[in-house]
Amino acid sequence: MLQRFLDPAVLHGISGLDLVAKTVVDGFVAGLHRSPDLGFSLEFAEYRAYSPGDDLRHVDWNLFARTERCYLKRYRGETNTQLTVLLDASNSMKYGSGAVTKMDYARYVAASLFYLSIHNQHDPAGLIVFDDEVRDYIRPSTRQGQLYRLLAGLEQAEPAARTDFGKPLKHFQEFLRKRGIVLVISDFYEQPEAIVKAIEPLRFHGSEVVLLHVLDAKEIYPEMRGPAIFVDLETDQKLEVIPDYVKTQYRAKMDDHLEQMKERAQAAGLGYHLLTTDKPLDRALTEYLSLRQGGR
Amino acid sequence: MGFLAPWFLGGLLAVGLPVFVHLLRKQTTVPRLVSSLMFFEQGTQSSVRHRRLRYLLLFALRVALVILLALAFARPFFRHKTAAASDKLLLVVVDDSFSMNASAGGPGTKLDEAKRGALAVLSHKAASQKAQVIALGGEMRLLTQPVVDFGQLRAAVEGIEPGDGHGTFGELARGMRAMAETVHTPVELDLFSDMQEANMPGNFADMVMPGNVALVLHRVGAASPVPNWNVENVQAPGQLVDTKKARVIAVIAGHETPAATRTVSLVVNGNVVAAKKVDVPANGRATVMFEGLDVPYGESRCVVRIDSADGFTADDARIFAVKRADPERVLFVHQASDSRSPLYFGAALAAAGEASFVLQPITPEQASDIDPSKYAFVVLSDVPSVPSILENALLRNVNDGGSVLVATGMSESHREHIPVYGGSVQDGHFYARGSLADEGFSTVGQADASHPAIKDARGFEGAKFFYAAAVDPGKARVVARLADGSPLVVDKQIGEGHVLLFASGFDNLTNDLPLNPAFVAFVDQTARYLSGEERVSGARVVDSFVQLRNPVNEESAVANKETGATVDIIGPDWKRPLSLREAAVAESFQLARAGFYQVRFANGRDALIAVNPDPRESDLAVIPDDVLKLWSGSPGAETAGDSIQAEVQDGRGVSNLWWWVMLLLMIAAVAESILASRYLGTQREQP
Repeated sequence: MLQRFLDPAVLHGISGLDLVAKTVVDGFVAGLHRSPDLGFSLEFAEYRAYSPGDDLRHVDWNLFARTERCYLKRYRGETNTQLTVLLDASNSMKYGSGAVTKMDYARYVAASLFYLSIHNQHDPAGLIVFDDEVRDYIRPSTRQGQLYRLLAGLEQAEPAARTDFGKPLKHFQEFLRKRGIVLVISDFYEQPEAIVKAIEPLRFHGSEVVLLHVLDAKEIYPEMRGPAIFVDLETDQKLEVIPDYVKTQYRAKMDDHLEQMKERAQAAGLGYHLLTTDKPLDRALTEYLSLRQGGR
Repeated sequence: MGFLAPWFLGGLLAVGLPVFVHLLRKQTTVPRLVSSLMFFEQGTQSSVRHRRLRYLLLFALRVALVILLALAFARPFFRHKTAAASDKLLLVVVDDSFSMNASAGGPGTKLDEAKRGALAVLSHKAASQKAQVIALGGEMRLLTQPVVDFGQLRAAVEGIEPGDGHGTFGELARGMRAMAETVHTPVELDLFSDMQEANMPGNFADMVMPGNVALVLHRVGAASPVPNWNVENVQAPGQLVDTKKARVIAVIAGHETPAATRTVSLVVNGNVVAAKKVDVPANGRATVMFEGLDVPYGESRCVVRIDSADGFTADDARIFAVKRADPERVLFVHQASDSRSPLYFGAALAAAGEASFVLQPITPEQASDIDPSKYAFVVLSDVPSVPSILENALLRNVNDGGSVLVATGMSESHREHIPVYGGSVQDGHFYARGSLADEGFSTVGQADASHPAIKDARGFEGAKFFYAAAVDPGKARVVARLADGSPLVVDKQIGEGHVLLFASGFDNLTNDLPLNPAFVAFVDQTARYLSGEERVSGARVVDSFVQLRNPVNEESAVANKETGATVDIIGPDWKRPLSLREAAVAESFQLARAGFYQVRFANGRDALIAVNPDPRESDLAVIPDDVLKLWSGSPGAETAGDSIQAEVQDGRGVSNLWWWVMLLLMIAAVAESILASRYLGTQREQP
């Protein structure tokens, strides 16, 4: 029943990102039919024969006493995985055909991921908010109050200015020196080549990079009754557009853009997922958990 | 091309609405915010100019819609040449009603003048044009079929005799409307009439001609009112016993006349028996009364005549027939213990105006060997049982045309069988034994005033009924009902005769009707009805019907075949208007001519019937010219001489284009709907 709280339209009625995040994660985990206290790092994985140089602290002495053979005990998730969310806070994220804008949806996703990471997985999590500059940076940590710092950072991330992946990503390299999971949440209104080229270096430190492409459903399937003047949210540029164009060429261009994004991201070893604001949030969380498992 | 309602063309101004919507209104667009214009391009085709071009067809349809709507309301019509003159049917209608017997002012009557006019019109018709001659009197009579032979048409016109009927133009229009359903060619109707105002129907719409008939009116006689005196009405007894008590009352009427003194004569069998002078006021009426009517035994032909000295002498006399005979006997069968019923009934019968009946009271036991056919009718008053010989004789008599009045009284034996009537009493209503809340009696709640037995019985409703037998009327005619709906007087036809059932008594015990003044009238009317006198007496006008025998049912039809009962009629011209076959089966006969008719009915009774023309024909006032112009369909047409001609008489016809405009309107509306929904519908992209 809690699954319904993954619906963005329902979450829009909940005030406070912490409550949104808790609602989403609890609902999501309940939907997995597993314990909410699931801990990967404490799970036993296998035995491995001792070889010289191994840390004696991991030797299973009980086994040695019974069998006189020296084995090391191996656990899953021996180390914590650092989660860093790169949130696009440009003006284009203000768009929303319904109650939930793309920025709202991105906040919900980020907040839910932070909650899942810190509260459930005890992983350090951090946030970088950017448009054409890096506007805010919260270092990944598991310290007390880290979750609320992150949520406050999300609250303050109001859309402004334009998107430019080139300039801020130069700085990302400085912030992301430790390997972990990097999630880039944006509407990616840029040439796929440029986006991938700008983000690809983040993988060089061994991090898993995933692009979460957030779009409104009406951006993919627009409705038009007649000719209209469109205003660009980022540049204020105006353009008169006719329905015939939207019906034919726009659709083709958008499909091509999405296809290019997916292909180029995959070619560069980046994860890519298209999220529309009318769909539940579970897809983003599932992606994170699968990466968390795979990156152990 | 023209318009029947051109002021609706003002609706064309509404064309400005689509012009404004499509061409003048500024297309305002609310800018829409989008995330990025990265994938959009300038829509060069979305200019206002293109919008105009694109919706040009829709705009044209909408303009056409408005124009067609205005045209439809304006009722366009299209004049075209009608068929050739030879294709037009010429109808020559000659009015031969009674008023056409009046003088036309010169030599001859109005009918003569009308016939001359009709022959003139027929002589000017094209040789190949078909024509038909019609006479309009009390009814419309087709004298010829549509033919081109002038000789046949002339013979038909010359053969028109002066009639006695009352013409009505409503009948003419009705006939034309019936003809228009089968004849679709143009018709020219030439009506020759005195255009008497009395011939107009009550509703002007009844005399409007159908669309394909061009009416040409030819008025004969003077257009100004003609003074005329006539004997409007005569009241005289149809049958009398005492000649000294009889009275004849005549009403003398003057139409458009000055005050004058007229001499009124009473003529009996060709002899003037009395004459009086009467002062008739200007344009008014006067009444003359002759005391005593000395006529010999048998049927007498009487006339009331005036010396009018006007141009219309045919209506100066009014005829009536009187039959002098000894009083007829009425057999009154009652119980020996009941002496009140014969007393009350006999007193009422004697008190009746004409006193032409004598009551013969008798008990059932004494009536065994009585022959009912010797009596005018028989009354069975509260008789519990009737000797079977008498009942069979009564039934035979009723079948042959006799009549019986049955009063049920309170006898219990009627619960099994009512003599002669055939039914039985189902129950008895004792109103006097009702609850305290009731008044203890019932009254007459419903009376059929059209029935001869009670038509003049005023005050009948005031009688109190304390008891009434409940009788199932079946198919019999219920003449009167009590307030609770139970039948009080029922008239049942058996063969040629009637049985009148009175569901109470004449003894002043079951009701107080015998003490009511209405009882005398009731007994008088009932006696006249049952004796058959009612059927032949009373005022008769030309074109009325006289009933020769009762309506045919299976039983009487078989009886007629067996007995061969025929009727016999001798008309005013001393000829028999019915053939032998008609005389054997005819139920009624139309009195088409004024004069005396000798009639022998199917039940064997003889009667002399006097028939007079309708007095409305004596009022020679003519229809005003403006009404005639309106009737002929050309209110603005000039009156040329004495004829008024319809505007469409110029050989041009009119086709109404309304239906075509409506058809185009519907097509435009459908096309506009389809086009508008295609252009302006929601353009939604499906995933």
